[in-house]
Order: sequence, then structure tokens, then C-alpha cells
Amino acid sequence: MKKLFALLFIAGCAVLITGCASGPKYSALHNTEPALASGNARVYIYRASHVFGCAVQPDVKVNDQVVGCAVPGGYFFFDRPAGNYQVSTTTEVKRTLSLALDPGQQRYVRLNIGMGFFVGHVWPELIDNPVAEKEIQNCHYTEK
Amino acid sequence: MKDTLKFLNLVGALLMPGCAFDVSYVKKTPATFMVAKASLPDFVLQQDVKVGLGTGFPTRLNRGTHWHQVGSTELGAVFVTQDQIVTVEASNIYEAQLIVSNQCITGFYLPVEKMAAPVSPPIHIIQTVN
Repeated sequence: MKKLFALLFIAGCAVLITGCASGPKYSALHNTEPALASGNARVYIYRASHVFGCAVQPDVKVNDQVVGCAVPGGYFFFDRPAGNYQVSTTTEVKRTLSLALDPGQQRYVRLNIGMGFFVGHVWPELIDNPVAEKEIQNCHYTEK
Repeated sequence: MKDTLKFLNLVGALLMPGCAFDVSYVKKTPATFMVAKASLPDFVLQQDVKVGLGTGFPTRLNRGTHWHQVGSTELGAVFVTQDQIVTVEASNIYEAQLIVSNQCITGFYLPVEKMAAPVSPPIHIIQTVN
């Protein structure tokens, strides 16, 4: 019985470790990011929660084009010309966030996770920059 | 057997509230947005305001936020702020701008959708003109 619990514990830890982002932290990488091209805006997408729903990692799409993945504790960014966009994630339902981008703007979208019927729901939410800049500090960069 | 059914019903009842499929919608109406030529004065909101659209996710506007007119629609003048994020939320989330008429919030303009979400009844706000 003890062996079974030990195995389950190890398996649980393995799922948690492999399911989390492991790249450099935002706090270390942010100042070395490439400069924003004229007329573009930059959007940071991050998922601060490390443990809850770590097995649920849907693609993140911008206007139906995949730009990254909702990795727990991870972040990535994309640049787009100023204009109107929809950020979306899909698990058992599709959740979208509509946002407008101005030239030179830097915006933050947090991926939240909530309960679903069979699978947790991940929904994107626009966050005020001062709040997001604190929350994203310990998130790790994830590539597409 | 009855106990098992009761248990399954209970589990179902507990899971359903978390389900939240696309059951909550923002009621949107077509809106004609016109860029402000002679804009109204900027204003500062003098109290926290909670604006509900019947979706269960009210929009909170913070006291002390500065608002600047960018245009107008049939519902009134459209204002934006740099001091907070403004969204309207249901199953999906929409970035929004504030529509004000006669010192009342009459709706939100959704710039991406180019639609308006009316607020009914309008909500009176206390504002200081800048």
C-alpha cells in the first residue's frame, strides 16, 4: 500500500513538473526583448496559476491563428499592427476576448482557469498594466 | 440503488454551476460611431460605479478615473479612460468604452464589434468637469 502511495505521489509530481513552464523568467527576459516595430502593439499572454488545472493547456489563438499555449506559470508575447483582435482559447467551450490595439501599446492578457463539466475552462482576461506587471514577474517564457 | 442515484444527482448539481457554457450573452445593438469633432469636456468620476448588463458580471468603474470623449453614438457621447481597463463580460469578454448622456451611463460601445450594449435603466453618475 505504501508503495502504491509512493508511486502515485511520484507520478503526481512528474505531471506537475512537466506541465509547468521552465524557460527564463519574465523578470530576467523582459529587458532583452526585441524593440517594437513602428505601428505595432505588443500583447503579453500569461497564466500565473501553476497547479490548478495544470493538465489543461489549450492553444491560444489570435483571430483564429495559434500564437502560443496556455502553459501554467508561463508567458509569451506577440506583436501585431494596431487594430482590432480576438484572443481565444478552446477546451470544451470557446472563450474569447475582444480588444483593440493602438500603436506602441503594451497590453497584458491573463489566462484564468475555472471549472468545466468534463474539462476546465480557460478564459482570457484583459488586465490593467500595473497589476499584470506584478503578476507576470515570475512567469516563465514559453515558445509556441 | 436509490442512494447511488441521489449521489449522482448531487454530483451533477455540484458540477453544473461550474459549467457556464455560452449561456450568458451581452445584449448588443448596432451602433453608428462618429468621431468627435467638437468634444465635450473631460470629466473625473467622483464615485465607484457598478454597471450591470444582466449578465451576472457587472463592470466596475473606479472613482477618480479621468474620461475623455472620442466620439458619439445614438446612445450618447463615447468616453475612454487610460486609468483602468473597461470590459463588459458574459461568457466572452469585450473591451468597451463608456457611453454617457445627460450625466447618465446609457451603455457601452464595443469598438471591436462596432456595437453598443445599452444600460437599462441609465445610471446617474457624479462627475467633475476638467
